[in-house]
Amino acid sequence: MIQMIIKRDGRVVPYDREKIALAVLRAMRASGEGTVADAARVAEAVESALESRCGAEPPQIEVIQDMVEQELMHHEFTNTAKSYIIYRATRTRARESRTTLMKTIDEIASKDAKLSDLKRENGNIDGDTAMGAMLQIGAAGAKAYNEAYLLRPEHAKAQREGDIHIHDFDFYALTTTCTQIDIIRLFKDGFSTGHGFLREPQSIQSYAALAAIAIQSNQNDQHGGQSIPNFDYGMALGVGKTFRSQFRKKLTDVVEDHLDEDNLADAVAEAIEKTEASFGPNALEPTEGFDASLASHLYDSLCIEADVAAHLVARARRRAEDQTERDTYQAMEGFVHNLNTMHSRAGAQTPFSSINYGTDTTPEGRMVIRNVLLALDAGLGHGETCIFPIHIFKVKEGVNYNEGDPNYDLFRLSCKVSAKRLFPNYVFLDSPYNLKYYVPGRPETEVATMGCRTRVLGNVYDPEQEISYSRGNLSFTSINLPRLALEAKGDEARFLKMLDDMLELVAQQLLDRFEIQAKKRVYNYPFLMGQGVWLDSDKLGPYDEVREVLKHGTLSIGFIGLAETLTALYGKNHAEDPAMQEKGLEIIGRMRKFCDDKSQAMKMNFTLLATPAEGLSGRFTRMDRQRYGRIPGVTDREYYTNSFHVPVWYPISAYEKIHIEAPYHALCNAGHISYVELDGDTAKNVEAFEQIVRCMHDEGIGYGSINHPVDRDPICGYVGVIGDTCPRCGRKEGEAVSEERMQELIKKFPQIKAFVGIE
Amino acid sequence: MTVDSKQSKMGAGVGFERIRRITGYLVGTMDKWNDAKKAEERDRVKHSIAK
Ligand SMILES: [Zn+2]
Repeated sequence: MIQMIIKRDGRVVPYDREKIALAVLRAMRASGEGTVADAARVAEAVESALESRCGAEPPQIEVIQDMVEQELMHHEFTNTAKSYIIYRATRTRARESRTTLMKTIDEIASKDAKLSDLKRENGNIDGDTAMGAMLQIGAAGAKAYNEAYLLRPEHAKAQREGDIHIHDFDFYALTTTCTQIDIIRLFKDGFSTGHGFLREPQSIQSYAALAAIAIQSNQNDQHGGQSIPNFDYGMALGVGKTFRSQFRKKLTDVVEDHLDEDNLADAVAEAIEKTEASFGPNALEPTEGFDASLASHLYDSLCIEADVAAHLVARARRRAEDQTERDTYQAMEGFVHNLNTMHSRAGAQTPFSSINYGTDTTPEGRMVIRNVLLALDAGLGHGETCIFPIHIFKVKEGVNYNEGDPNYDLFRLSCKVSAKRLFPNYVFLDSPYNLKYYVPGRPETEVATMGCRTRVLGNVYDPEQEISYSRGNLSFTSINLPRLALEAKGDEARFLKMLDDMLELVAQQLLDRFEIQAKKRVYNYPFLMGQGVWLDSDKLGPYDEVREVLKHGTLSIGFIGLAETLTALYGKNHAEDPAMQEKGLEIIGRMRKFCDDKSQAMKMNFTLLATPAEGLSGRFTRMDRQRYGRIPGVTDREYYTNSFHVPVWYPISAYEKIHIEAPYHALCNAGHISYVELDGDTAKNVEAFEQIVRCMHDEGIGYGSINHPVDRDPICGYVGVIGDTCPRCGRKEGEAVSEERMQELIKKFPQIKAFVGIE
Repeated sequence: MTVDSKQSKMGAGVGFERIRRITGYLVGTMDKWNDAKKAEERDRVKHSIAK
């Protein structure tokens, strides 16, 4: 006779047959077979089985559950047995995740970040601060919940065992990744941040301030990188407004001085208005005849001689232009400073921001591009390199690529700045897969990037709107490619079959996640949807579901470790053997075709992503080394190679590397980037730097950037390459410099703002 | 840390700042990065620009 049982936590409690009957009945209800009497019968059978097995000893709860499974099968309630097994598995998963969660929180709360890889997973969060740790604890809780309750068992297994990585998993139930914010549309007639209404800005300073606020506001609605695709076109409107108001002020000044009279502002404004009525708005480069007409209006209203009036107008124009240039520089400087210091996401992180520019050829747009580059070049207050935003220069033949193109000078300037500050990166509008969307005069058709590489342009859901603006990625999941290759043990056909299955699994998981995202309503994304930032969201009311408009976004399948995959399958990677390059393109081409087919079938945008994830690849590699051992060229390092890249350790020329990687850019339509690593001296050579950018353009790279060491000595302010010894002040790391030497240096380098890198 | 104006030397204990690009973002120090990312950065070789 059983009297007591042992619970999971070790407590001993009285035995109750009714409880078993109830659990059986629940399982029967779920599978739609059996009655109350059947449940009682099964419970009785469980009891006698327990008695014969355990005798007088109290049985463990796990044993009782095993018996329930067994007796359900005995009594031929097969479906009920299945649903009972699934129920048990789900409960076990939830229980385990609770235990893991508590361990994780313990690590976050008590371990120093230096000692905890977990706390350094996202390098942008300082896990040693209260807010940073709170954010990490929240993320850990969300992940545990999402895994236990939102993932299908097969997806949870794939994620847990390292077949796939679901990115930004902590946000699974909450939001989408990123958006290209069209600031022109957003600023028109003002917008609301949720904390107050901001009127349409009226000067370049307020345009720049509002651009930073827009990025910050949207970062509170989405977890990924926030980007402005039209920074030059958008800010140019602010420059125009500043110029017009400066021109009015300066003209008033010179006219008042000339006539030695005060209070002529209204008369001057009237003359300008009359001129604008026939010649259009005043601008840095006004319509032909504007100034002459203005001069004659000044003559009419104030009796200023024609030649004198013309002279005054020209002087006002010159002064207004200078003032606007200065204001624009200050605005750009403020913008960059803002984005490096402002916080969002519970106050623990700076927003992940990007700005795209380079193709606006109006004088106002050119002023923006020039000054944002100069502000980037100058650095922060003590000359520090700006970490944010990511600057992206759009390269286009006929606009800025060749000598004689209107913005060629700005392209050259960008190379000079990037050779010093690592930004801008380059996005290439002439690469065929970008060019096919490009319509001159419609900047929204120009490719732009956001975050570390995301790109959105094609649109299967709405082929009328194949644009960059107001769209973005919804979510992405990456496949551990080397795992499939290792599992296939050199059998290509088997590898491809497993790859197809994995693609199908990931597509399903992305659709499951979409279902969660799509059920949200406009009020869940107060800025992104509530302010009409996302395409067509302005057509929705606050309580509408966002399902349909979200379909403008992309669901992306990523991958890492093509190099290791090829080595595992064939013994060599794509840089080592041209035949492997063909194999590599076949594999990635197959993945792209899967995405295209899925897109057509679902009328949604499935795209292929070259995943940027050395961190996640570290986890994959660790797991695979445990499973398959240390395999040279595959699991013998701490990470898998970024997407389709030639491995970072492989010696190769810049040109060769670009040549090998370029064809993959055409395939990875969700985003891609190629890097070239230069030593410091080569990077200083702007000609050489430009040649590499040109090589990227000519080879059909979509997005590229050039890495080189950028060091800074906070004591003397030197920025450049520092080996053991600082080339300016001569100190070694941690050494002190004498005061006399410092005084000498200050005299020699007066442009250095302050020798106070220590505070 | 503050600089004592009477002190005749400055900079003791102050390191150099080294900016690197990791997974597409610039970072000022590697301290906050996980081990795989650090290893990837350490293994990078420079690319020559000879044709
Ligand atoms: Zn120095």
